[in-house]
Amino acid sequence: MNALELTGIRKRFGAVAAVDGVSCAVAEGEVLALVGENGAGKSSLISVACGLYRPDSGSVRAFGRELPPGDPRAAIEARIGAVHQHFMLVGPLTVWENVVLGREPRRRGFIDAARARREVAEGAERCGLAVDPQARVETLGVAAQQRVEIVKQLWRGARVLILDEPTALLSPQESAALLRTVRALAEEGRAVVFVSHKLREVLDVADRIAVLRRGRLVQISRRSETDADKIAGALIEGPATAPEASARQGERGPVLLTVRELSCASDRGRPALRGLSFELQRGEILGVAGVDGNGQSELAEVLTGLRRADGTASLGNDVSFHRSPAAARRAGVAHLPEDRQRRGLCLPLSVEENLALGHHALPPYARGPLIDRAGRREKARELIEGFDVRPADPLARAAALSGGNQQKLVAARELAGGPPPRLIVAVHPTRGLDPFAARRVHQALRAARDRGAGVLLISLDLDELRALADRILVLFEGRSAGEAEPEAGDDRLGRMMLGQEPARA
Amino acid sequence: MNLVLDFAAPLVFAALGGVLSERAGVVNIGLEGMMRFGAFGAAAGAIASGSPWIGLACGALAGAAAAALHALLSLRFRANQVVSGIALNLVALGLVTYLLQSIFGSAGVSPEAPSLPRDRFGHTALAYAALVVPVLFQLWLSRTPAGLRVRAVGEHPRAAATLGVRVLPLRAVCVVCSGLLAGIGGATLSVGILGQFDARMPAGQGFMALAAVVFGRWTPLGAAGAAFFFAAADALQRHLSLTLHAADLRLDGLFLALPYALTLLVLALGIGRTRAPAADGIPYDPEART
Amino acid sequence: MPDLRARLFRPARDPAWGAAAALLASFAVSFVAMAASGRDPVDGFGHLLSGAFGGPGPLGETALKTSILILTGLSVAVALIVGLFNIGAEGQLIWGALAAAVVGRLEVPGVMLLALLAAALAGGAWGLIAGWLKVRRGVHEVISTILLNWIAIHLIQGWLVPGPLAATGSGAHVSVAGTEAIQRGAWLPRVWPGTRLDLGFPLALLIALGVWFLLSRTRRGFEWRAVGAGPDAALAAGIPAGRRICEGMALSGALAGIGGALLILGTEHRYPGVFRTGYGFDGIAVALVGGGSPAATAIAALVFGALRAGATRLQLVGIHPSFAELTQGLAVLLVAAPRMFQPLLARLRGRDAVPP
Repeated sequence: MNALELTGIRKRFGAVAAVDGVSCAVAEGEVLALVGENGAGKSSLISVACGLYRPDSGSVRAFGRELPPGDPRAAIEARIGAVHQHFMLVGPLTVWENVVLGREPRRRGFIDAARARREVAEGAERCGLAVDPQARVETLGVAAQQRVEIVKQLWRGARVLILDEPTALLSPQESAALLRTVRALAEEGRAVVFVSHKLREVLDVADRIAVLRRGRLVQISRRSETDADKIAGALIEGPATAPEASARQGERGPVLLTVRELSCASDRGRPALRGLSFELQRGEILGVAGVDGNGQSELAEVLTGLRRADGTASLGNDVSFHRSPAAARRAGVAHLPEDRQRRGLCLPLSVEENLALGHHALPPYARGPLIDRAGRREKARELIEGFDVRPADPLARAAALSGGNQQKLVAARELAGGPPPRLIVAVHPTRGLDPFAARRVHQALRAARDRGAGVLLISLDLDELRALADRILVLFEGRSAGEAEPEAGDDRLGRMMLGQEPARA
Repeated sequence: MNLVLDFAAPLVFAALGGVLSERAGVVNIGLEGMMRFGAFGAAAGAIASGSPWIGLACGALAGAAAAALHALLSLRFRANQVVSGIALNLVALGLVTYLLQSIFGSAGVSPEAPSLPRDRFGHTALAYAALVVPVLFQLWLSRTPAGLRVRAVGEHPRAAATLGVRVLPLRAVCVVCSGLLAGIGGATLSVGILGQFDARMPAGQGFMALAAVVFGRWTPLGAAGAAFFFAAADALQRHLSLTLHAADLRLDGLFLALPYALTLLVLALGIGRTRAPAADGIPYDPEART
Repeated sequence: MPDLRARLFRPARDPAWGAAAALLASFAVSFVAMAASGRDPVDGFGHLLSGAFGGPGPLGETALKTSILILTGLSVAVALIVGLFNIGAEGQLIWGALAAAVVGRLEVPGVMLLALLAAALAGGAWGLIAGWLKVRRGVHEVISTILLNWIAIHLIQGWLVPGPLAATGSGAHVSVAGTEAIQRGAWLPRVWPGTRLDLGFPLALLIALGVWFLLSRTRRGFEWRAVGAGPDAALAAGIPAGRRICEGMALSGALAGIGGALLILGTEHRYPGVFRTGYGFDGIAVALVGGGSPAATAIAALVFGALRAGATRLQLVGIHPSFAELTQGLAVLLVAAPRMFQPLLARLRGRDAVPP
């Protein structure tokens, strides 16, 4: 009898079939890896498995018993526990409150807080996970929060543990520790479903590997029977694409951006950048790597005028270009923001209006104080076509576009909407995008570089950095941990990301 | 000054209602309307039954019913919660005036309604309740399982949902109970203080209650404390205005405006940046793609 | 014109359909409620319509009320466009009215224009306070505008009008008369003899047109809309969001202030001792039903104006005029639940849930 069995699961969101008839099972003591590109249906599938979504058809069985659909409580009762990509933790509450929420130990009507704290501490220690029960979750770092999530599931007696992209925000060393934990849990007899798009980890930890593509299960095999090539082949439609060649067409020019001793605080008031220094040349893509939370977001905000900082940053001769977003824009800085829906788009407005944002005071969008409607419409059509934004309708609302098309919209506006930018700050530009949209964005960035712009590419995806960047700068705790060539090995980059590799002089 | 306790009671109950709703994540601008329904319902109920206690119950139920509508719109239909609250206030304004006319044939005040009994200090039971209930509420919110779940649901409903907490039903209960509390607040005005329903009730106290919630940082004790402060300021103003009238100085308006101006000042100065519960006002969609 | 046709079925048009449906539904409910209370609804509605549209007198009244509602409705709508809920139109209106009443006494040429200007400034300043508080101190505008309303009402009607600004010769104890009358030259001329309809109506329409132009055809208007639609994106695009929000609130207050001025210059000719308007709060209902489009807002203003004008006749059928308020509240209630209509409309059009 399998620990978890999914049969014929179908789930649509509007016209899109996120999961299209998937059946698979995982046994006790086994690690099943679910592999697929962004949008292949992995997250939707496991949301069905743990009762968050109600499938349109199909069934979920745990230890032989069928579960009522769309009922998270039933899934929990059936010992299914999930750790999601976006943590399901309530910030202002403490660790122990988060762990026991929904199943609080009671004493005379009140919560037995002492018992809760004790049980949480014991449970964590048993699995070798370090947590402080009294800490408020919002004060914890990402890896610590993830540990809390795992403890939360284990405390509820989860026999089936589902981990959705657990290493997305971890450094290579932290990831390795997590993988060891996964194997330990499997050896204890638990079933683990490990969702990931990182082949190396999957091959390391899984007993069986299932490949999802566009909502369908296209391949499932034992680890011993398969390898990276076979899996990669099943992942992508058509012939396996060769790694994108970074054929350079322009020359690297003189220094464009000089950053010296840049320091600033994060939103929480803690130091985010501590004396960061680096240079960026014209016609170059400088990749910025690092575990999330080491100052990347703040760096992007400083350079685009959204955050104050001490130290100097000069674009050419201009040292005050980052005084405000308007000043940055005037100086020729383009920004592909981290949170494209919040920072990049006015969702209720039309595609055409979003394309005008930032340049709306200049021709062809405006004539004096008035809007030039014909000019704006014309320019919008041009941009839509050039960047393949779908639907190709200037009057469609930005909110109705898919994530990939929204990002193409932002890229179109930033890179081609106004005068060609000198400096492009792109933050996680292909996060959540399908491969085709991602490739489009990469093309646009390369084209900008070839034209002579400087591109600062901040990304959590090492593969993306390797494919695009001419150099990679690693940030650790708000400082430069050194630079590396794109060909540098994972372990070297990983050590730099943890600050363990002394910065090369 | 003795009367501050009685005058504060309606505000306290309404403010507590506001806290409950908002901590659960539902913005409640409709406190004014709920108080109005409560005040009228209590008066009508008391007149019809001859008992102020039954009147009180009717008022509470009326407030709860109004809140149920707000809950329906905000939770089931995911309407904009501010708009829903405003709509409720508008409906309360018109409907109650209409009912006052149709049932009692009056455009100003209802007939005298039986009032709640007062003890030897001149306080009704509700006045004392206004001292005790905030404390109980605070304990409930911070120490009980239900209170923990309410707090979770107001900050991160999806996280609570993954643990099996039923978000929408919990929010609905909180909203209806907030109406219950606001209804009690309104009832305090008609059967507790005045002894009849006045067409102007609650004359803005529902909005003052909102200010108290914000002032009190969305905690029961804070909101109740703020409510007491506002009532005290109001009493002070009344006291001063009598002396001024004697001197034939028409400064009523200045003093009437003072509590509001003070509230605004305090909000503007320190407390302008408190954080409401993170999910406050955001409609929860169980099936949304995260 | 393929664009025009496509425009009509844009999702952005849904607010207008939702508004129309809400208005119709609220009238239907009122109809039923009237019948349920034992009155003849056809008779009742007949009186309502005749009170609103039956002859030059009623038409004049309707136009009068509509013109004020257009202004307060626009006031709230403009605030909504920059992303704020302006509950303070009432306070902004009475400050405008007071300013017009004071300036309207000056014996200078162009006093009418001056009075209007003063009203706009007064209302605008009051609205700006709320905007500034929101931008600089993070005070939620719903609360601040409500508080400012009360402060305005008390300061004006409890102190200024009965005190320093009282007309000489009025009773020392009860100031029923209000302030001094404005000079004849400041009166808004009647445009339809035999009715109370004055220059205010065409003026309001003109202003509505101006606001529409401002919002949809100018750069500044675009920035206001961007700030309301996506404040973070607008900021990142270089738009000074804080400043624009303040500008929006100032304009919002100014519009309400002008509404107050129209009441003084056209009808009251002084700031009366008892001035219960309610136009400010009705403006909220108008704006909400109008859903952000100036045209729909104007139509909602017309409907509510007609309701107000015709409601007094309801008493002839034994129905209290507050029935009109009830209908209004219902309309807003129904508009507050757009999801009730959206899925229906979307299904009719074959469009469905939105991909992330």
